[in-house]
Amino acid sequence: MPREIEPSLNEKQFVLQALQEKFRLDGRQFDQYRPLELTFGDQYGVADVAFGKTKILAKASAEVTVPYADRPLDGVFAIATELSPMASPAFEVNRPTETEVLLSRLLEKTVRRSGALDTESLCLVAGQKCWSIRVDVHVLSHDGNLIDTACFAVVAALRHFRKPDTSVEGGILTVYTPAEREPVPLSWLHSPFCVTWSFYGDRGEIAVLDATWTEEQIRVASCTISLNRHGEICQISKLGGTPVEAVALLQCTSIALTKAKDFSVFLDKKLAEDTKKRNIGGFMAELRSENDR
Amino acid sequence: MATAQPLYVLPGDTIDPSLIPTHKKLPLRLGPGLRHIPPSAIVPTVAGQLVADHKKNSMWVEYNGGRYIPAPNDLVIGQIQRSAADFYFMNLTPFTSNATLPQLAFEGATKKNRPQLASGALVYARVVLANRHMDPELECVSSSTGKAEGLGPLTGGMAFDVSLGLARRLLMARSREEGKVEILELLGAEGLAFETAVGRNGKVWVGSDSAKTIILVGRALRETDDGKLDVDQQKKLAKRLIREMK
Repeated sequence: MPREIEPSLNEKQFVLQALQEKFRLDGRQFDQYRPLELTFGDQYGVADVAFGKTKILAKASAEVTVPYADRPLDGVFAIATELSPMASPAFEVNRPTETEVLLSRLLEKTVRRSGALDTESLCLVAGQKCWSIRVDVHVLSHDGNLIDTACFAVVAALRHFRKPDTSVEGGILTVYTPAEREPVPLSWLHSPFCVTWSFYGDRGEIAVLDATWTEEQIRVASCTISLNRHGEICQISKLGGTPVEAVALLQCTSIALTKAKDFSVFLDKKLAEDTKKRNIGGFMAELRSENDR
Repeated sequence: MATAQPLYVLPGDTIDPSLIPTHKKLPLRLGPGLRHIPPSAIVPTVAGQLVADHKKNSMWVEYNGGRYIPAPNDLVIGQIQRSAADFYFMNLTPFTSNATLPQLAFEGATKKNRPQLASGALVYARVVLANRHMDPELECVSSSTGKAEGLGPLTGGMAFDVSLGLARRLLMARSREEGKVEILELLGAEGLAFETAVGRNGKVWVGSDSAKTIILVGRALRETDDGKLDVDQQKKLAKRLIREMK
């Protein structure tokens, strides 16, 4: 299996030296993200997110299935992450790397276990039929900070997604096409975002947000904080690495909150723009009885 | 050199015979991106600009992108992977097989006195041997003069990744007129003190006493590359970056 080549000694030394002098390679502040771009697809539930050169596409889809026997009143919700060799030749199909396992685990904890999506609303007929919501995460280009980008993409895709409308009459389930009935949004409870800090220095005293791939390869520790705009923390994971001072970590959390608020505002704005674009003519167009004929 | 109207070719295009240079004495030389299919067809293998040099009786295709394929006499920046008894194994591009650099191919190196390079060190070297199915071989000393001529281990500084096209343009003898890249000269004229080494494999090493200068040069290169800036835009970029630094 091809291994990712490590940065050279010169690069390692220089990045650390520059960080100690309070510079980053791309001229950003330590707590500054790369420019964030978000585009929604023509279909509902497709979100294309880019932080600088890291680019991730998330696609949400829904189908009717049988609920799990032990949870007859819940729907099924799954996030599928697969890092393809397109992102980097070090990723192989069907052989998950550590990065991939950690990524899917973190997304699971952040989005699924924090109850962002109300799975009870996905139930159609108790114990017999429910919606299965699936989000596929595709990494199109990898330049560091996959976790934050992937989490943002998943949340954006799910909030943009509309599932077909249904009705149950006399035990018969009807799923309507978009032409018959307007698709309905998911029952969304809160939007969690991941904010990943990278630490540098002997005692992890330098903390940096949104590390690029070069920076990520050199860091001594990282900490991912998942929280929503109300400051409710879903999870904090600091997997090994150099220990970091508790006070510094508190500082990181408070900055993470402002970032989560920024993300939230940005996503709301983009969603509103998209709705406006789709809804040409507005309510009046809908009420009109004339047609093209 | 190039004709007034640049001519672009696609892989497999037929090249008009009038475009192929002719010379009384020299044989026709084909550069990168062209392939001779016997008996007499010349076919482009990549998309790009077809360039012909009538004086040297050669033609090639200028293109940007793809993976670096070593060719003899290219200057490259390699990274030491590991060291064997007589060789250093070097990495020119990620995920490709190693290139070899003999430990005696440095200026003044003898069996007893040769540079000790750790894994991960950067070396500026010239490609000596590059055959299709063999690992390329490098050297850091001119075999004719025995002098380093600027080649050798690179200490300190920072290596930036650029596109292959920009690396080639930077390496041109007249990079300003032919390559349309002036950014390094502009930054130097603004009073920044730095040195560079350009590797044909898409790496530019920048050395300076001040970390700020290195970062600024790196950003200038990246923005020139990503934005495909022309000379005027490069002038504006240089001014803007200098202003930001102050």
